[in-house]
Amino acid sequence: MAKRQKSLSEIFSNGLFSQNPTFVQFLGMCPTLAVTKSVESALGMGAGVVFVLVMSNLFISLIRNFVPREVRIPIYIVVIASLVTILEMFMWAYMRPIAMQLGTFLSLIVVNCLILGRAEAFASKNGPVKSMVDGFGMALGFTGGIALIAFFRELLGAGSITIWGDLAFQLIPQNYQISILVAPAGAFLVFGILVAQINKLKFKNESEVA
Amino acid sequence: MDIIAIAFGAIFVNNVVLNQFYGLCPFLGVSTKKSSALSMGMAVTFVITLSTMIAYWIYNFVLVPYEIQYVSTIVFILVIASFVQLVEMFIKKFSSSLYSALGVYLPLITTNCAVLGVAIDTTVNGSTIMGKYGSEPSFLNATVYALGISLGYAIVIFLFSAIREEMDAYPIKRNWQGIPIALITAFIMAMIFVGFGGII
Repeated sequence: MAKRQKSLSEIFSNGLFSQNPTFVQFLGMCPTLAVTKSVESALGMGAGVVFVLVMSNLFISLIRNFVPREVRIPIYIVVIASLVTILEMFMWAYMRPIAMQLGTFLSLIVVNCLILGRAEAFASKNGPVKSMVDGFGMALGFTGGIALIAFFRELLGAGSITIWGDLAFQLIPQNYQISILVAPAGAFLVFGILVAQINKLKFKNESEVA
Repeated sequence: MDIIAIAFGAIFVNNVVLNQFYGLCPFLGVSTKKSSALSMGMAVTFVITLSTMIAYWIYNFVLVPYEIQYVSTIVFILVIASFVQLVEMFIKKFSSSLYSALGVYLPLITTNCAVLGVAIDTTVNGSTIMGKYGSEPSFLNATVYALGISLGYAIVIFLFSAIREEMDAYPIKRNWQGIPIALITAFIMAMIFVGFGGII
């Protein structure tokens, strides 16, 4: 297969739009639904994933030529788990409120299929710079996806938008809030509706191109 | 009494998929057929229960005495990955019928966040989780909790696959097919499970 080398900007926008991890590939769905109760926790989770994914893609790309194929997955998992441990210690030390909101899901970044998926599909075959760009694009796509879900859930469910700490806006009075959306069940509803609307746009574009 | 409360709470009230969002990728991925959902449920029950027991011993008798709890994430994921590998080799050798039923699902379980999630919840966050049921973290409680969580997983994934099989017979708009309609179904199931909260 003679494929044209992709440019850096193409790799970057690949993760952001056409291969968006949240809405197109459906990778890492557990945090997608669990941490989207408020925009703040979604952004905190996103920042964590940006760090882990960029660094893990970098390290895995650097060691890709020395790792024997048979044991590559355990090695990738150790690299990712070490990065997540660093992130956990950092967040618990300096961003305690966010770390408490994320709870177990902070540790569960280890088993986020997005990170291992990119290690296997991209970083193990490409150079360090490209891998970092790919990781950054994918992680930003993920952050954007969960922030969008969190935006609708928090706005309609709790009537507010919390960006960071005290930087919060109360927009909808209590009588008009749909509190089921911030309950766990509401996550499925909001995510389902958003995916259906994005599919609709996608199919419309496809039929216009064809 | 504590044990009954923990088991009931783990199966229904704090259902692993519908309330805590652990293990969603296989929940949506392996639930298109009842038979595969049943196999997945069995494999998950087996792995979660045993790996939680192992994680409990390692945490309390190795990590805590040496005060190295901060490496728990790395240790747990390695233990789970090697345990799953062992189980796979074991049943491949001793039971070919069981292997043909579960074999494909076992490697997938390593990245099922329910396994790591329950291991962390019963050890590192043990006192918070058990405190919800007015109990203390102990080996028995952790085992019952893990068994309850995984049975809750098996029940929900089986019910969900039965609904999805039925749904195939009906016309669904193209943009709602697949994941979106599955998510809406999960939403309705989650609403039903909220009702169990009143019992405890």
